[in-house]
Amino acid sequence: MTRFFTVTSVLALGFATTAVAADAPSKADVLNTYANIAEAKYDDSLIAAKSLQAAVNALISDPSDATLNAARAAWVAARVPYQQTEVYRFGNAIVDDWEGKVNAWPLDEGLIDYVDASYGGPTGENEFAALNVIANPTFELSGKTIDASTITPELLGETLHEADGIEANVATGYHAIEFLLWGQDLNGHGAGAGNRPYTDFVQGDDCTGGNCDRRAQYLSAATDLLVSDLEWMADQWKQGGAARAELNANESAGVSAILTGMGSLSYGEQAGERMRLGLMLNDPEEEHDCFSDNTHNSHYYDGLGIENVYLGHYTRTDGTPVGGASLSDLVIATDPSLDAEMKAKLANTMRALGQIKSTAEAGFAYDQMLERGNEGGEALIMGGVNGLVDQTKTIERIVTALELDQIEFEGSDSLDNPNAVFH
Amino acid sequence: MRAIVLALSLTLPVGAFAQDRLPILTDTVNAHILPGYAALAEATQTLATAAQTNCDPMSAALRAAYHTAFDDWISISHLRFGPSEVDDRAFALAFWPDTKGFTPKALTSLISAEDAAIQSSAAFAETSVAGRGFFALEQMLYDPQFSQLGSEDYRCALIQAMAKDINLNASAINADWEVYAANLTSPGETSPYRSENEAMQELYKALITGLEFTAETRLGRPMGTFDRPRPKRAEARRSERSLRHVALSLTALRDLAARLSADHPDIAADLDGAFAAAIGRAQSLDDPAFEGVATAQGRFRIEALQQSINDIRAIASAELGPTLGINAGFNSLDGD
Repeated sequence: MTRFFTVTSVLALGFATTAVAADAPSKADVLNTYANIAEAKYDDSLIAAKSLQAAVNALISDPSDATLNAARAAWVAARVPYQQTEVYRFGNAIVDDWEGKVNAWPLDEGLIDYVDASYGGPTGENEFAALNVIANPTFELSGKTIDASTITPELLGETLHEADGIEANVATGYHAIEFLLWGQDLNGHGAGAGNRPYTDFVQGDDCTGGNCDRRAQYLSAATDLLVSDLEWMADQWKQGGAARAELNANESAGVSAILTGMGSLSYGEQAGERMRLGLMLNDPEEEHDCFSDNTHNSHYYDGLGIENVYLGHYTRTDGTPVGGASLSDLVIATDPSLDAEMKAKLANTMRALGQIKSTAEAGFAYDQMLERGNEGGEALIMGGVNGLVDQTKTIERIVTALELDQIEFEGSDSLDNPNAVFH
Repeated sequence: MRAIVLALSLTLPVGAFAQDRLPILTDTVNAHILPGYAALAEATQTLATAAQTNCDPMSAALRAAYHTAFDDWISISHLRFGPSEVDDRAFALAFWPDTKGFTPKALTSLISAEDAAIQSSAAFAETSVAGRGFFALEQMLYDPQFSQLGSEDYRCALIQAMAKDINLNASAINADWEVYAANLTSPGETSPYRSENEAMQELYKALITGLEFTAETRLGRPMGTFDRPRPKRAEARRSERSLRHVALSLTALRDLAARLSADHPDIAADLDGAFAAAIGRAQSLDDPAFEGVATAQGRFRIEALQQSINDIRAIASAELGPTLGINAGFNSLDGD
């Protein structure tokens, strides 16, 4: 391992002499900024989740339009810092292995609660698509009888989540909570989000939707679990935390992880899975925050997270700036024009995502943009997709320019023994 | 052998940058990409004509034309860049995997509503990609669920609209490639590829992504886990084409790999040997729709096939990429 990087760093130096000899920040400083921003973002996500938890508790103890709307507002606010953390996901195994618990999507919501008849029942892909655990205190799973008489965080996290190995069985995280706060959006491509009445949480005779005690129990358990999951991740990014240790184990691999996170989120995940697919299918529920109609914000803050990681500057939810030596500085030292290209493309994407956001906020919701033949909506979404695809090309150029090419090769687990060949 | 190749690749990256990539770029475009898309355009024309002549799902001529055209698509399905991505053409040709059952949903909706969009090519092209292309056509031809649904006249017109739409997309990609080819063979400021290295990266990425898709998706999806195999997730299982797709894609990727490694005979030989082993395993597997994933013995053989593809991937990423001085970049499979 050590010898391998000696070889590559000698090669990198060879290139540096022919390139620009500006004052490059050390990779260690760049990684430190990156980790500090992660720490701040996950801490902000945790703080916002605790506000959500307080609002959910208020809703459960005193259900009303006011407490339901307050809980919904807290959920929307909680998404702002969390979505900006998504850029950490694909580059850091510790995040990627964990994130399914908090942000899994899309989900077959019939697993959780009652759904409209148009939803259908169990499918060939998912036998539990209409399980409705809120209405069913016991059920069969893989030949075992599950006791769900009390809905606990353990039941959700360890038994129900990804039940039967199906990813669409999302029992925990933001989107499960979103479903409980909003309910299904039955407006198709028309205006309006999910419209669950607060009476779904009223105990006693005025309960609507049935099983209001179990629904409240579910919402409370899922919110508690979100808080504890975020607490864990925030700890990993503190000084001495495992995520920092992994990142700093090898500086070049660490810088590569930053770029991997930026590129994978931009291209395969956001431009592909989350934006282009829904457009191609013209499906109003094929949007990231389909119950709350908050998709425009989710996309926007994902994009912002990519940009602020590159620039090495994040503004906390209380206004505190966090920043330092950045990947951008590192690129400037190697190829200033490539840095300018990256900044221009990130700004271009943010303008496109900003147009989706501002248009949605003006009343033209994301699910309306997805409608077949809606040229304005298609142009808005494709503007974001094209920006994200275009910026990925420049991220690839940076991987090449910083001579990080060999990292993936080094990290390849398909090789029998990558170190052996260098001895 | 491998050690020497790797050591050389690390000591000679400057040489790698100085490589004249033009012969390989030109060869790959002219002998791999352009003929592949031309064949697809022609086969889909035959398919559209066959559907027009006889839209009966049981028609031998229609089914034969479907198989030939689908073969030609699978043989170029790794070339997902440039013209295939314009207007979502490739997705409209082949929407798979369909993790949430969008295709049956789209077909049911079109047929039940007797959606008039099928009457015009332009309107049909606006409809969901899940109800278009080879995988939607497959369900119309082979899934009993759709042999009786709605009216026979509408089903017939839908099959004809699908075949025509497939042909229009294939022809559009083929026509665009005549122009797009120059981007790869003359990279520079006017091309999406700024340098020969970037053009080469696109082709290398197609190889890596194609191998990944065949191993992880074409095989991995039906395999599921040992306790929970998923035979119904096999690609095009209704027309029993799942294994055929693996063999076709490996054959096409072998051709691409040979061209990309033309300047490095040792690596070319390593790759070719690994492809021969994988294709041999595929050919000896008598399990067209991967139903065997549900039995211990069948699963073992499919796992062995998957492993042999992973062996090719290891050579491509550990020997070919570093020697060419090219990294795999990002691909569409990078998300979850």
